[in-house]
Amino acid sequence: MDDLNPLAGTAHLLEEVDKKLMVLLRDGRTLIGYLRSVDQFANLVLQRTIERIHVGNQYGDIPRGVFIIRGENVVLLGEIDREKEQKLPLKEISVDEILDAQRREQEQRQEKHRLVSKALKERGLAVNAELINEDFC
Amino acid sequence: MLPLSLLKTAQSHPMLVELKNGETYNGHLVSCDSWMNINLRDVICTSKDGDRFWRMPECYIRGSTIKYLRIPDEVIDMVKEDAQAKSRNRTELNKNRVANSAQNQRAARSGNRNNFGNRSGQLSGGPGNNTQRVGVSGQGNRLLAQNNKNRK
Repeated sequence: MDDLNPLAGTAHLLEEVDKKLMVLLRDGRTLIGYLRSVDQFANLVLQRTIERIHVGNQYGDIPRGVFIIRGENVVLLGEIDREKEQKLPLKEISVDEILDAQRREQEQRQEKHRLVSKALKERGLAVNAELINEDFC
Repeated sequence: MLPLSLLKTAQSHPMLVELKNGETYNGHLVSCDSWMNINLRDVICTSKDGDRFWRMPECYIRGSTIKYLRIPDEVIDMVKEDAQAKSRNRTELNKNRVANSAQNQRAARSGNRNNFGNRSGQLSGGPGNNTQRVGVSGQGNRLLAQNNKNRK
């Protein structure tokens, strides 16, 4: 039977269709939704999607609806284990609170970045902040 | 339903398009192609940090710059209804097809010889068939000869 299956031994997404998936995008965002469709470019259709924001051991969910994600922006995706989902070692907080926490975290990061580039500058190393991609830090 | 077919179904619906650079475009989908290039109308563009806005009557977005599109929930429901209607049609079609093929088989069984005769007649134009035709006609002659013999 395996010999007849053209997808045997190849990485593919068809088995993930209709499952609840977590998708990590290249910009660092996490989406959780039901995978409804895929194509040869790994373009995805997610239904009943939420965007989950993590800060420390807290998280918040923002309902987002239906997504068509262009495949090249996906870093990874995986099925959500419904049982383990029940006992996450994380605390859910409201959208407003998580957005607030995210903003504070962002400010802290910028402040740290500013201090580092100042220290580097004093030691004769000019750092162009524009050229540093935070995704890879 | 492939992602790009769903996008096509979403034509004339409002949607949000986020580009790789973080800008978002809100508007109604006018048209799209298989590269995900899209035309929007009545567009509001929002900068990456969400603090500046531009309004434009229409815009064209190259597919390769898109990060994702968000479409209304009801578009996916439309697709489901479409798919259900299609599968209903298909089962009916298949039923008809099964019925027809059963009839055809019956017809074929009763008229096999005639079919073969017709076919060899049609093929006679090709150069490769000459030998076969000679063979057949030769056989026919022999049969004829036999018949003649029997008659004698």
